[in-house]
Amino acid sequence: MRTTARGIIIFIVVAAAILISGAIYTLEEGQQAVIVQFGRPVGDTVTEAGLHFKLPFVQEVRRFEKRLLVWDGDPNQIPTKGREFIWVDTTARWRIVDARKFLESVATEAGAQSRLNDIIDSVVRDQVSSSELIELVRSSSWQAPEEQAMEEVTQEREEELKKEITRGREEITRTILAEARKIIPQYGIELVDVRIKRLDYVESVREKVYARMISERKRIAAQFRSEGEGRSAEILGDMEKELRQIRSTAYRQVQEIQGKADAEATRVYGEVFNRDPEFYAFLRTLELYKDGTNKNSVLILTTDSDFYRYLKQTNPGGGKHGPAKALATGDLGQ
Amino acid sequence: MPDQYLPPRRDQPDLDEILTQVGRKWRDFKPGSLWVLLVIAALILLWSCWFTVQPEETGIVQRFGKVVRTATPGLHFKWPLGIEKVVLVPTARVLKEEFGFRTTATPVGQRTQYSANQAYKGESLMLSGDLNVIDVQWIIQYRIEGPIRYLFQVRDTRKTIRDITEAVMRRVVGNRIGSDVLTVGRVAISKEAKEEIQKILDSYEAGVRLITVELQDVTPPDTVKPAFNEVNEARQDRERTINQAQEQANREIPKARGVALQSVRNAEGYALERVNQANGETNRFQAILAQYRSAPEVTRQRLYLEAMSGFLPEVKGIYIVDSAQKALVPWLQVESGAKVSVEGRQP
Repeated sequence: MRTTARGIIIFIVVAAAILISGAIYTLEEGQQAVIVQFGRPVGDTVTEAGLHFKLPFVQEVRRFEKRLLVWDGDPNQIPTKGREFIWVDTTARWRIVDARKFLESVATEAGAQSRLNDIIDSVVRDQVSSSELIELVRSSSWQAPEEQAMEEVTQEREEELKKEITRGREEITRTILAEARKIIPQYGIELVDVRIKRLDYVESVREKVYARMISERKRIAAQFRSEGEGRSAEILGDMEKELRQIRSTAYRQVQEIQGKADAEATRVYGEVFNRDPEFYAFLRTLELYKDGTNKNSVLILTTDSDFYRYLKQTNPGGGKHGPAKALATGDLGQ
Repeated sequence: MPDQYLPPRRDQPDLDEILTQVGRKWRDFKPGSLWVLLVIAALILLWSCWFTVQPEETGIVQRFGKVVRTATPGLHFKWPLGIEKVVLVPTARVLKEEFGFRTTATPVGQRTQYSANQAYKGESLMLSGDLNVIDVQWIIQYRIEGPIRYLFQVRDTRKTIRDITEAVMRRVVGNRIGSDVLTVGRVAISKEAKEEIQKILDSYEAGVRLITVELQDVTPPDTVKPAFNEVNEARQDRERTINQAQEQANREIPKARGVALQSVRNAEGYALERVNQANGETNRFQAILAQYRSAPEVTRQRLYLEAMSGFLPEVKGIYIVDSAQKALVPWLQVESGAKVSVEGRQP
């Protein structure tokens, strides 16, 4: 009797425990739950974390994330409008906003992921294929670099750098987000953000880009060297010019100074010697003889020369001006 | 010292350990030791009633999953048996994410070792605005500012931070030309990136505060590096060539100026000399002339004879030829090399 009573008590306690454990459930922070009764969602979505009640046995709890979730797509090879193939790696953030609808349409996160794959991939493809590569890389705030930075840029690239960016990466990602959002709400999902995480040339293109970069660098290097030589030649030319200027100016000054001095001397000579040119000539001739003869000289006197005349004539006062005349007019040999 | 990311630590008693403990106790004490068992159970209960929070951490206490309070560093109590549980978040620690490389070891007192594996190139290679490829390695440092938001607003917050950082860095670098990124643009890039990343993370309510975004090695891709170096060399060459030319110019021009000045001075000297000579000679002449005029005849003869007597002793020979003699040369062997002075009419 006592044992049956004890058995009954134990049964009641156990049954109560099972009942209670079936009737209460906890909800973690950052989660939401949908109560499902025989496979059909009932009531509102539970979003408040903590202890909650439900009907035991007939109702079950489906928990879903309330937090922001990651969608990370596979990188895709997509041709741009300019036919360059690029890898595009996009990432998105989404959350479950309507858990009931979510449960009905995609059921699990994995299901949602695959839907998102389809939608986002196709929208990204559309947008990338209809955009130029520079629009994807640059932003709308793109400004052509200043002249100084252009020093290392070749001519054709300069044109391209100055191109106006009409959309830019932000605008393209905004469009992707807007386009994808149009389709997504029916899944109870809110697409919060889509971003192009990586953008890269495909391998074969990358090699070509490297080759192009190298040849570009080489061009610039050659230009620098040539510029150096050019400037050097210019400097040397300037130097040559300046040297010639300096030298010729000096020569001119020398000539002018000397000329002036010669003129002055000539004037002085002329002025003074002009007082008695004949006497000057006489004096100069004597000096010439004095300076012009040496030990090896031979003097030839004709018999009518003045010197000889003095030797011959006992009366030297014969011709007053004879000797001087003879000396002055006599040609001085060779 | 920023730390690598640490997942939030859960402060829960290890269930397996407790069970094995209980099992062992059961065998040891048998039903008779029920009291002992109860005491042990009470102790275990008590043990799961407190937790400690380290100085750099904040404890988030959840009761039945709902956040009820946060705990500052120190000793705290909570309800046992899973009624309340604690998540510890390192809020005071500066966390770091690396892009394009990983720090492999930081031995104390030694050089930090990095791994710049090819596997990380995917993170660091990006396109610049002039469509060149550039290798940018960078880090971000952040702190968990709102631990509750960090845990419960975004799932896998760390991945979100990384994804957003990469996306933003590529956008910022893509909006500049490569040479700018390599040289002067670094500071502006990290500033711009930091602001943008923070803005996006705030919009996600990630509870994260960025401390810094720092660009590390920013280089051209390895294959292109030599060509970039060549440009630098060429730039140096250009300067060198110009300097050499300038050097030559600097060497020659001042010297030429000096030489020019020298010749001008010489000419000036010549001029002085010339004028002085002229003045001297004319003065002398004037002086003589004055005296000559007082007695011209005598002076003239005297001068003539004096001059003759001056040079006659010096000559080698004197020939006196009749003035009627026409051809002198046929019979007079004039020595070659000797100077011939002819006095009187030309024979």
